[in-house]
Amino acid sequence: MTPHKVRQTKEAWVIFFILGVVMLNFPFLHIFNRDVLFFGIPLIIVYLFVGWPVSILIIYRFSVSLSRKTHIEDDDTEQTPEDRT
Amino acid sequence: MIPVGIVASISLCYFGLLFAVAYYADRQRERGRSLIDNPTVYSLSLAVYCTSWTFYGSVGRAATSGIDFLVIFLGPTLMAFSWWFLLRKMVRISKEQKIVSIADFISSRYGKSATLGAIVTVFALLGIMPYIALQLKAVSFSFELLTVPVIQDASGIKQYLPALPETVDTAFVVAILLGLFGVLFGARHLDATERHEGLVAAIALESLLKIVAFLMVGLFITYGLFDGFADIVEQFLTRFPERKALLMLDTSRVPYPSWFTLTFAAMMAVMFLPRQFHIMVIENCREEHIWSAMWRFPAYMFLINLFVIPIALAGLLYMDGNAASADFFILQLPLATGHPWLALIVFIGGFSAAAGMVMVESVALSTMILNHLLMPIILKLYTRGGNLSRLLINLKRLGIMFVILLGYLYYHFLGESVALVNIGLISFIAATQFAPAVIGGLYWRGATHRGASLGLICGFVLWFYTLLVPSFVESGWLNSSIIEQGLFGINLLKPTALFGLSGFDLWTHSLFWTLFANIGCFVGISILTIPSSAEKEQIGKFVDVYHKPSGRQQHHRITKAPSVIEFVDLMAKFIGIKQSHAAIAEYLGNREIDEKGSLSEHELPQLKRFTELTLAGSVGAAPARIIIDNYLAARGSHMEDVFNVFGTVNLSRAASREQLSVLYEAAHVVSSGANLQTTLDEILMIFTDQFKFDLCVIRILDEDRQTLTVRSQRGMTSKHFGESERNLNMETFIGETFLTNQVSVINDSDFTTKPETAKIIRREGILSFAHAPIAVEGEPIGVLSAFSRSAKGIFTEEFVELFRNLAGQVGIAWRNAQQTDRLITAREQQRELAIAKDIQLGLLPTSIPDVPGVQLAGICVPAKEVGGDYYDYLLHEDGRLDLVIADVSGHNVGAALIMAETRTMIRSRSDRAGNPLEIMQELNHFFYDDLTRAELFVTLFYLQYRPETQQALYASAGHSPPLLWHEKKNLCTRLDCEGLIIGVKDSFPYEQKSLHMEAGDVLLLYTDGVIEAENSQGDFFGEARLTKLLETHSHLVPQELIDLIFEQVRIFSGRHSFHDDVSLVVMKLDHNIEQATSAKLADDAEKIS
Repeated sequence: MTPHKVRQTKEAWVIFFILGVVMLNFPFLHIFNRDVLFFGIPLIIVYLFVGWPVSILIIYRFSVSLSRKTHIEDDDTEQTPEDRT
Repeated sequence: MIPVGIVASISLCYFGLLFAVAYYADRQRERGRSLIDNPTVYSLSLAVYCTSWTFYGSVGRAATSGIDFLVIFLGPTLMAFSWWFLLRKMVRISKEQKIVSIADFISSRYGKSATLGAIVTVFALLGIMPYIALQLKAVSFSFELLTVPVIQDASGIKQYLPALPETVDTAFVVAILLGLFGVLFGARHLDATERHEGLVAAIALESLLKIVAFLMVGLFITYGLFDGFADIVEQFLTRFPERKALLMLDTSRVPYPSWFTLTFAAMMAVMFLPRQFHIMVIENCREEHIWSAMWRFPAYMFLINLFVIPIALAGLLYMDGNAASADFFILQLPLATGHPWLALIVFIGGFSAAAGMVMVESVALSTMILNHLLMPIILKLYTRGGNLSRLLINLKRLGIMFVILLGYLYYHFLGESVALVNIGLISFIAATQFAPAVIGGLYWRGATHRGASLGLICGFVLWFYTLLVPSFVESGWLNSSIIEQGLFGINLLKPTALFGLSGFDLWTHSLFWTLFANIGCFVGISILTIPSSAEKEQIGKFVDVYHKPSGRQQHHRITKAPSVIEFVDLMAKFIGIKQSHAAIAEYLGNREIDEKGSLSEHELPQLKRFTELTLAGSVGAAPARIIIDNYLAARGSHMEDVFNVFGTVNLSRAASREQLSVLYEAAHVVSSGANLQTTLDEILMIFTDQFKFDLCVIRILDEDRQTLTVRSQRGMTSKHFGESERNLNMETFIGETFLTNQVSVINDSDFTTKPETAKIIRREGILSFAHAPIAVEGEPIGVLSAFSRSAKGIFTEEFVELFRNLAGQVGIAWRNAQQTDRLITAREQQRELAIAKDIQLGLLPTSIPDVPGVQLAGICVPAKEVGGDYYDYLLHEDGRLDLVIADVSGHNVGAALIMAETRTMIRSRSDRAGNPLEIMQELNHFFYDDLTRAELFVTLFYLQYRPETQQALYASAGHSPPLLWHEKKNLCTRLDCEGLIIGVKDSFPYEQKSLHMEAGDVLLLYTDGVIEAENSQGDFFGEARLTKLLETHSHLVPQELIDLIFEQVRIFSGRHSFHDDVSLVVMKLDHNIEQATSAKLADDAEKIS
């Protein structure tokens, strides 16, 4: 994989991290916090118990693709803190 | 309910199993096979995060306050995203710095500060105490629940062991047991490394059991007692519609701010709780394991939480909405529905959860207590001598018990009143206080020791005030007035509404104020303060852990440096003899040790660093630094900066500019071809001028006198110094350098081991000096020396390398001069040899004498320019024809001279002397003295042929017998004749034989060079082959026969040239020899008449 691709994946990773924090918090949660049953289960619980495994799946995808890359990746290409924020 | 004996014995069996696993893992590790070196075990061990709080408390929280229990696990799932950069960096740093705990990590980052380590330790201890209490509470409560029919206060285990004193309850027994196991798993023996494989293996097994137990009971309740998730929800909502809020957010119990607060606290706790840090960072085998743990650990948490809500709702349904014992629904439900075995499994699962947490936490905390609280005291009291390793391990064991008992005390006095979840959250907020110092320290260079210390102190003071104080009040320990009216009755200081901040839940309020103060102080003070130099060094190692330092670090040296053995002894005091020997063996394994069996001056600072790191692996970075510093201080040694002779140029692996320029100029001088003295002087001038040495000397060995004499000198002049000769012995460094062919470097002349040298050095005021052997093809021929009066420690590793190279250049110059001399000599010899060769060839017959009916041919091919072979035909006036062939041993000039002498002798005597016998005897007598003196000898064959009679007389002096081909008889014979080689005995009775030759006969005389020609297999050409050649080709004329023999010999030996001189003489009688002879006789008679 090209360094550019590696960088792209890393950036996507940070975006997903932020997205996860947002989606599992107020105000996002408020959207699903309704008195509605979804297949007999309260909607917010369905949301959390679906959202959770989805985020695990995302981490899985990333960790598989990134761990494959670390073999070719030199540690010197590690992002500086400025890149990360 | 289950008989207490069964519960107790199953618990003990389970512990036995855990211990067996731990023991096996430790053994495997000793054999070099790691049981825990795989991502699954790593991920499972991380699940030590799920304590009994998860196991029991989640259900309790779900049944009482709602779904906010989930954030405790959603937070870590989100945090797992960051592991890829945050955790990996922490692991990398910890491995490189041999970090042993979170206190060690923080103290290392901020200049190995002992104070900071102590602060973190005290706060960690305070913060975790409630958490341990929580585990004890869970285990003892669940034990009693299983074994006691009705929960009665203060009965518990005493029901079965009435002899126990009044103050002892189940939790105490559990505490003692867990403490024992903590000691067994975590402090069985002292280890040089910071990792505990056995402990991790046991934790991983426990994690496996936890999830299996939880899933089993979850499935049983959801699908066994009810008809799935939806069924439970439906029943719950119909029966308790007023509790619908339990399944919602934004309720009075679960406001959004609290959701956010708890998510954040959980995110930080999963990283910075001492036990999480220990398992995740310290016990990590490989960085790659983080990849898979990133999703496996969240997946584990997801599974273990899957059935929390169904169990909580089912519990409420079963208990008629009574949530008083909601924490233990998971245990009560199987019991109430008549499945005690399931309850037992749940108990073991819960027990696992608690035991795992307590063991890791107590080991981690006791390590911190030992390293950061006790060690500074021990080191203060530490008097030299005595082995501390025993004391240290016992203190660690005591520390484990201490931590757990502290937890017990908390439980005993406070714990009963507070729900599990609340106790846990107090610890979570405490762990969050470490986040600014750790994360800031990892990415922000400006973070300083003072900032981190003050931030931590402020954070913890506020934590204590806003969380612990209210919990003290709740348990009745403190008067509730402080909550209602504030400290000293000041309203603004209400612990739950500090500075008037009200309207938030306890956690949000506390988290806000603690982090506000913590981060505020950390950032503010860091900006205002400047890191110390020790801190700066560490900042680089933490912030830039992925970037290898470019350029070399400042050179340091240790004055009065301890030896390797002394370093080992020092380590042994703290980590035990065996461990320290193993460590040093590994260290020295890939290093060069000099001839004295010690490390070079420049290796010592590295050894010091290694010793410090090894000790750090056992006692932590800050104490290790104190130990080393104290030790060196006690010896009067210290680290000092090395005077940089290279000026401002920073030395990298590639040579510096000065270094290159000196070598370049030296090489230029060497190749300029000036005479040796000029070359040596110029090299010294370049060297002395560039590096400002006070004296540089070149000494070269005087072979006759066996002393090193000064050939060139530059710098100060002193009779005793530069100009004096040195004998070849080990009493001076110069002598030693020459004899050992090794560079001698004395960077501090106060510490010379040779009294003779010390005297001179002191008198001359020399501070440092070095000698390098000048070698030619590895053999020393002299010594290059440099002396400095201005600085100690000049000779850094690079400089010594340059010095050695320069000595090599001097060697080349010397060799060049030698070779030039030798070349001239050789050329002269060559010319003389060529002359000798011409002369010698001129001594051989140039023409063939004209003897009617006789054909002759001869050849001599010397192996070198000159040789010892000789042949001759001498035709006398009376018609006799003498044939001589001789071989002088050797093929040098000496042999050639003897050959010439032989020729002269024969030529002068053959006319007068009669027959071969007389000549042979005369020759022998004449040569005896000369040959004996020259240690040479001569073999010779002499044949005298009389054409008129066709008779020949011959004699031999040990020469290879010639061959004679009789054409008429068709037979080849050897002309054997007794005779000793010439020059061995003064007088010897030589034998003379005669033979009659007939027409067509061929006589072949040869030297042993022919028959001793060797082929590649080592076989000789031999007489047989020669005979055969003669037999088959006797019809050829003599010259053709000689050419043929030469060709055959060359083919046989596979070489064009010969090793030995080769000579051949062939004489052939014509077929018409009779007529020719009689015609000649008639002709002669006519002339006479």
